[in-house]
Amino acid sequence: VVVFMKGSPAQPLCGFSNAVVQILRLHGVEDYRAHDVLQDPDLRQGIKDYSNWPTIPQVYLNGEFVGGCDILLQMHQNGDLVEELKKLGIRSALLDAEKDQEKK
Amino acid sequence: MRGALLAAAGRTMGGSGGPLARTIRSKLTAALQPTHLEVRDDSPRHGGPPGAETHFGVLVVSGLFAGLPPLQRHRLVHEALREELAGPLHALQVTARTPEQWQSDPRVPPAPPCLGGSKRERRRG
Repeated sequence: VVVFMKGSPAQPLCGFSNAVVQILRLHGVEDYRAHDVLQDPDLRQGIKDYSNWPTIPQVYLNGEFVGGCDILLQMHQNGDLVEELKKLGIRSALLDAEKDQEKK
Repeated sequence: MRGALLAAAGRTMGGSGGPLARTIRSKLTAALQPTHLEVRDDSPRHGGPPGAETHFGVLVVSGLFAGLPPLQRHRLVHEALREELAGPLHALQVTARTPEQWQSDPRVPPAPPCLGGSKRERRRG
């Protein structure tokens, strides 16, 4: 999981970037590479050219560009994110949360 | 009738918006032939002066999206607004649905709050 964002996961500096951090956190994904594009204007433009995507944040799973905040939110809501994380060998925390719910 | 996008924003938009809003509206209409289109100027929520027109949210409902995954749908929207995104348009929240999806789910996510962005970085020196 790699994220290009404004600010850092500890301190996002943009509402859209924060949304990405929060969604990943919900799934228990906290140990990922985050690049702060505000620190490096060349990176900021370069990553937009690379993915042919005009805005930040940008989320990459296994080196593949997945989308920005809107798409990640959709994937989270429709269950796709849990599946994609599973493919990366990451077990979403939400699955455990569901299991706890069922036990109760 | 108040659009879902505007309702999510919690306020009414006066008139048809500024020049960029009108450009966005006409380009998306030409490119995607939407059955429903809403354009929301979020710039005031991001510290810009009134009329800044830098951050927008768009809701596009179009049959052209059928069969396309979200990434491709968003790319279509970006293509239509390529010039603007290279220029003044700083952020764009996109909700892209087919008419069937829109019928069954007319909710739109609200714009996330601003957290300062690059302005905050500069102030810290």
